[in-house]
Amino acid sequence: MPTNAVTATRTGPGFDERPVTPSRRRRPGDGLAGYLFLSPWIVGMLLLTIGPMAASLYLSFTDYNLFTTPEWIGIDNYRRLFDDSRWLRSVQVTGMYVLLAVPVKLAAALAVAMLLNSQRRGQGIYRAAFYGPSLIGASVSVAIVWKALFSDDAAVDRLLSMVGIRTGGWVGNPDFSLLMLVLLAAWQFGAPMVIFLAGLKQVPRELYEAAEVDGAGRWRRFWSVTVPMISPVIFFNLLLETINSFQIFTSAYVIGGRNGSPAGSTLFYTVYLYDRGFTDFRMGYASAMAWMLLLGVGLVTAMLFRTARGWVHYSGDNR
Amino acid sequence: MKRFRTVLATSAALALIATGAAACGNDSESGPVTLRYSWWGNADRADLMQQAIDLFEDRNPDITVTPSFQEYEAYWQKLTTETAGGNMPDVIQMDFSYLREYADRGVLYDLDDQTGDALVLDDLLAGFDGVGEVDDARYAVPIGGNTWSMFYNPALFTQADVPAPQVGWTWADYHAAMAAIKSTTGVYGGGNYTGVIYNLEAQLRQEGGALFTEDGQLGFDQERLARFWQQGQDLIAQDVVLPVETAVQIKPASLWVDDLAASDLGWDNFLVRYAGETDTEIRLGPLPSDDPERLGQYLKPAMLLSASARTEHPEAAAKLISFMINDPEVGRIFGGNRGLPATNAQREAAELDGPLADVAAYEETIADQLTQAPPAPPRGAGGVEAAFIRISEELHYGRISVQQAVDQFFTEAEDILQS
Amino acid sequence: MSSSGQGATNPAGIGAGRRRAGRRRRWGSIGWHLAALALLAVILYPVAWVVSASFTPSASIIGDLELLPRDPTTDNYRRAAEGMAGISVWRFFWNSTVLAVLAVVGTVASSALAGYAFARLRFRGRSTMFVLMISTLLLPFHVLIVPQYAVFQNLGLVDTYAPLLLGKFLAAEAFFVFLMVQFMRNIPNELDESARIDGAGQWGTFWHIILPLSRPAMITTAIFTFIWTWNDFLGPLIYLSTPDKYPLPLALQLYIDQTTLSDYGALMAMSMLALLPVIGFFLFFQRFLVEGVSTSGLKG
Repeated sequence: MPTNAVTATRTGPGFDERPVTPSRRRRPGDGLAGYLFLSPWIVGMLLLTIGPMAASLYLSFTDYNLFTTPEWIGIDNYRRLFDDSRWLRSVQVTGMYVLLAVPVKLAAALAVAMLLNSQRRGQGIYRAAFYGPSLIGASVSVAIVWKALFSDDAAVDRLLSMVGIRTGGWVGNPDFSLLMLVLLAAWQFGAPMVIFLAGLKQVPRELYEAAEVDGAGRWRRFWSVTVPMISPVIFFNLLLETINSFQIFTSAYVIGGRNGSPAGSTLFYTVYLYDRGFTDFRMGYASAMAWMLLLGVGLVTAMLFRTARGWVHYSGDNR
Repeated sequence: MKRFRTVLATSAALALIATGAAACGNDSESGPVTLRYSWWGNADRADLMQQAIDLFEDRNPDITVTPSFQEYEAYWQKLTTETAGGNMPDVIQMDFSYLREYADRGVLYDLDDQTGDALVLDDLLAGFDGVGEVDDARYAVPIGGNTWSMFYNPALFTQADVPAPQVGWTWADYHAAMAAIKSTTGVYGGGNYTGVIYNLEAQLRQEGGALFTEDGQLGFDQERLARFWQQGQDLIAQDVVLPVETAVQIKPASLWVDDLAASDLGWDNFLVRYAGETDTEIRLGPLPSDDPERLGQYLKPAMLLSASARTEHPEAAAKLISFMINDPEVGRIFGGNRGLPATNAQREAAELDGPLADVAAYEETIADQLTQAPPAPPRGAGGVEAAFIRISEELHYGRISVQQAVDQFFTEAEDILQS
Repeated sequence: MSSSGQGATNPAGIGAGRRRAGRRRRWGSIGWHLAALALLAVILYPVAWVVSASFTPSASIIGDLELLPRDPTTDNYRRAAEGMAGISVWRFFWNSTVLAVLAVVGTVASSALAGYAFARLRFRGRSTMFVLMISTLLLPFHVLIVPQYAVFQNLGLVDTYAPLLLGKFLAAEAFFVFLMVQFMRNIPNELDESARIDGAGQWGTFWHIILPLSRPAMITTAIFTFIWTWNDFLGPLIYLSTPDKYPLPLALQLYIDQTTLSDYGALMAMSMLALLPVIGFFLFFQRFLVEGVSTSGLKG
């Protein structure tokens, strides 16, 4: 691979009808090997995944209270969604959250991964320390800590008071509670950070050396070597964080409860779905909500895959 | 469309239909039997429960009990899933507000078939007659009871020179007391009681009404609810009740933790919890009522026991239930852990001390006022209560007006109750 | 300690005088540590709060806004170590360990296999299956709980570890399959082309070329699977009934019950104890992330 090719951006095809490896004709034996390698996944799909997914799709067209036989009601559940003010509210809250949390979390994860991607003393300890918050997961203890930090006259409030901002605590303030959860997500940036790190490890050192010989500065190296080389990982993190942010549940539930307290400001989509399905016993309606989410997030996912062709580059897909 | 339906239904049926022959309870059970028994509660309760189960197994060598326990919210999620999957435990702890959700859908066993033989109900307290019955069938038996009451901090009442709560005081007296406490001591007079549906229920019962009608509809009109919520808005305007921002922020702790307010309304057995959270002395008193003859208070089953409709051993299940509510030794083991016991034998056997003794003594003082409990709340009562909490919170935040709140509540509640 | 060409964060200049470069490097290094530590101070403050809360008397944890406990106590740890309902606390640790280790083995193996097929092989229906796999990520799990429970109930596997582990061995975790795909697609083609020329079959290529080069992805998968399984609450809650099969998260939730007394002190202490194995696992395995993959097979 000539070194100057590094700076040229090349486009790899996305996952579509075009083959991954256009340079090669399908070799004999690939087909059978493909199914063999995939066999655990195929069994898992048939045994564990397809059935429940089909069941939930079926249930979304029924009135199902969990204990008695589902009753077919056609698209009623879907029709009622649009007259449901809480549903509309949950869509709004979730959309806002995704727009804020995803970029903040990914930026933090990439910045720290770059910082840690060097040969320093105590690197392992540093990594573990930065990963620390994510180890705790979204548990009750985290909810308690987070509330303690953002209460009136607690750490965050005092810091802000120093620069002359008086918020009176974020926990009980509906205008700030969403932001509190965005910060919680950003604080637990460990997973994308580790994935970025693993991606950075995959970049062949020769490329940097070659770029240095060509006289590229640090920024130049970042944009022309690092970013294209880790673009599959950037894409993975972007896609998965987006999908997961749409489905934020545990951290929201332990902090805001089933009603999305305070004043519905943390009524996320899945929190509302859970409330409908498991406390109102309306699993049919909840299933319709789930499939609407699948449609919405599916559209976003498809769009991301489509744009990915322009900037995600795979070394394994040579033209 | 039709074909699509068939395809879907077939694939769904594969995943959904929980097989397993329906239970056919034969009357004479013999041979070793295993019962699954689930309850909610903390680690302490699990320890006590294990003692009680050991005792039961000693007396009934042919019955083995497999326990399972979770914390309250997790318990209901698990139980709902198990029930939907056709795998409900044989004996379950039941909550009064969920009773109809389960009973109306035919997943609970009618214990009348076992009453008198395996299940003894003669010793239940007077207030518990008929509790657990739904449409003339008995789907649950109460374990313990509590009653909606006034908690107050006597020191602050004295400091503000306000008489302590006693039978005969009115809602206006209560409002005045809160205002006096706030102005003299600087401490909020109370929590905002209009955020809790049980306070509305208390006022309705004092007026001779009820929260729900016999046929499971709302027992009050929009105007009555508007009046109730307006009380709260007036108290907020006067700044005598705990602001909603603070109430949200301190959760899951109560307002007693930092002596944030001088009074609050709640279930009387919560005194145990509050006593564990704070060193401040808290006392129990009767509800305010505009009709001194009617406090509106009743003995509510704090928790009940039910059996699964699909249990293969109804007689053994009934034996276990009977043992858990009647046996004096079990009463002694639990004390007040399951609320104040529902049978006379267990109440006598339970050595109550500390806050629980206070609760028992308090219930004695208003014993003649404790009226018959209302029938089990209709299906959807839980959802109605949640809507009430949610909407009143928005109201307290000033995001909606009283009229908007009332409209929203009636829209949601009627939607929940009509299904 | 060399700081040669390690990408954008390398503060060392190239081609300057050696002494000047050495000094700059030292200052750069000190600056790096200072920056990292300052950032850590902010990030770890809440963690420090939890540690401190675990030494605070239970009753004063909620609503406590200070970092340092006023009258520190080790009571919480004593209570946490007692276990509950006659089950020792080590039992919960053991259960969690069994679940997490088996989950790691299953997930790493099955995701690597599936990832290889999706990333580097061509066969009929591949795109459709890939779309299907991604779509399993899009459905909120709460609507799948009941149907999935019914499946395992009919298989007679409820109250065993099978429902919690079967999916891991059958690559049902699309997150990790997709992660493998992204890494494996990024391995240059020349490598397996040359392996083919040397006569390696599909399995040989996978085993000798692709797997070693995918090590960062496998380590990442192992770390995440361990942590996520260790912290998983919902799965065990739904499928396990017998208390002596409970993993740690199920034991943890018994300290907080809204209808009875909550023991926040023991909760915090137990959370801390539960973190130790996870931190150990992370520290041990992250070392394998360090070794960069050298692709000497790249020819210009």
